[in-house]
Amino acid sequence: MDMRVSVDLELKDTPGQLLLALEPISRYGGNVISIIHLREEEKLRSGRVPVHFTIDVPDEASLERIINELEEQGVRVTKLGEVTKKERITLLMIGHVVDTDLRDTIDRINELEGVMVSDLSLAMPHPDKESSAIVDIEVSQGVDRRRVMERIYSIAKEKNLEIVRSLEV
Amino acid sequence: MRVQIIGFGVIGQGLAEVLLRKREELKQRYSLEVKVVSITDISGTAYAEEGLDLEKALSVARQTRAIVNYPGAKEMTGIEAIEEIDADLVIEATPSNIKTGEPGLSHMLAGFKAGKHVVTSNKGPLALKYKELVTEAARNNVEFRFEASVGGAMPVINLARETLSGDKITAIEGILNGTTNYILSRMTREGLSFEQVLKEAQELGYAETDPTYDIEGIDTASKLVILANAIMGIDATFSDVKTRGITRITPEAIRLAKERGYVIKLIGEVRNNHLEVSPRLIPETHPLNVDGALNVAMLHCDVAGEITVVGKGAGAIETQSAILSDIIAIWKKRGAGQ
Repeated sequence: MDMRVSVDLELKDTPGQLLLALEPISRYGGNVISIIHLREEEKLRSGRVPVHFTIDVPDEASLERIINELEEQGVRVTKLGEVTKKERITLLMIGHVVDTDLRDTIDRINELEGVMVSDLSLAMPHPDKESSAIVDIEVSQGVDRRRVMERIYSIAKEKNLEIVRSLEV
Repeated sequence: MRVQIIGFGVIGQGLAEVLLRKREELKQRYSLEVKVVSITDISGTAYAEEGLDLEKALSVARQTRAIVNYPGAKEMTGIEAIEEIDADLVIEATPSNIKTGEPGLSHMLAGFKAGKHVVTSNKGPLALKYKELVTEAARNNVEFRFEASVGGAMPVINLARETLSGDKITAIEGILNGTTNYILSRMTREGLSFEQVLKEAQELGYAETDPTYDIEGIDTASKLVILANAIMGIDATFSDVKTRGITRITPEAIRLAKERGYVIKLIGEVRNNHLEVSPRLIPETHPLNVDGALNVAMLHCDVAGEITVVGKGAGAIETQSAILSDIIAIWKKRGAGQ
């Protein structure tokens, strides 16, 4: 259950500082989504360089460890951005996935607020045979996953698709 | 201990075999002498006050497929045997029926009424009438145990109720049917279609001629109901389970899952009073990813965390481990004739 966090840091303007900041992030299971190095902007009076990170971390505890460690190493954490928790639902669809209008299936899932199909792989053995798709759906914090699954099952029923969802959903 | 065996097919015969093999051991370890005073199958009942010759009973059953050919046997039904023959314990091992629960259901109720303890491997009656059965057993002050009804040799009911008795079990997930696990494992390994593997499994005798119970998830659903009742105290019956089988699983679906680090397994799950049997994506590294015909159950406990047991879910001999443990537990608790 990943959570996405935006973190603003101030690094000393000396070589190797960015690496220093990345190390604890990776050690505690964080995944860097983006780094914006604001070098061109006005250097701070302190002589530090502001850097904006977006990272995915496994949970609250890992985030806390990362922040503690950064501060111990002299990195200043100036802002811990709005935390949007992100959960992923992975499921298989088996049936005439394409012929029953895949585009419509995706649109109807995306229609739900805070829900987005983020990845889809398709296998089509033969035009006459049933195809299979594995789908990743990102669900924002606060969205009831049961409602998402209800929507998916109702589409599946209508289009005669078999749904195989992951164990934790 | 005077024991009656009702149903002398794979399970009943397996028990006779293991009782022969373990006769001395049971005597030495538990001072338990199991005297099989009657064996009933569809043809009739073999009976001996001082205990039947199990070797002879096995050879009669294997050669003639009818226990009525045992010397002195009578055309006596299971119910009559339970009502008329003096014994402490009934082993109910007739084939499982998920529509009516019969004949097992009547045998069990007759056993309780006659003041006899009952040990069974028969899941049908439990999946349909769990509450009634348990209530009747208690009302008649007899023991009723059924470890063998779920997961064959895999100890799960007694594990949860006895060893984990200080824990509250909050959820259970598991693979409770060996045939479907065999089919899915083989589809995964060989990239074969469901139909091909099912046919092969039938030829090898791993799947029944009518495989509906297994592949449609009915067998798993029955076992799930027993676990929900026996371990989690949920008053559920077979019709409460949302059940889907594995007939629509394709080799391509398995491949796509595999590329993402998942396997597909037919999972029975009880959580928040919700009972469901359906094919699910399981991470390859997850403890529930067991191969071949194995069964597995994961118990979510409030103190112990997760406990997972893996074992053979069927087999004439392996299942006797569960039946024997039930017999011994009753012996320890009640002794003879109590």
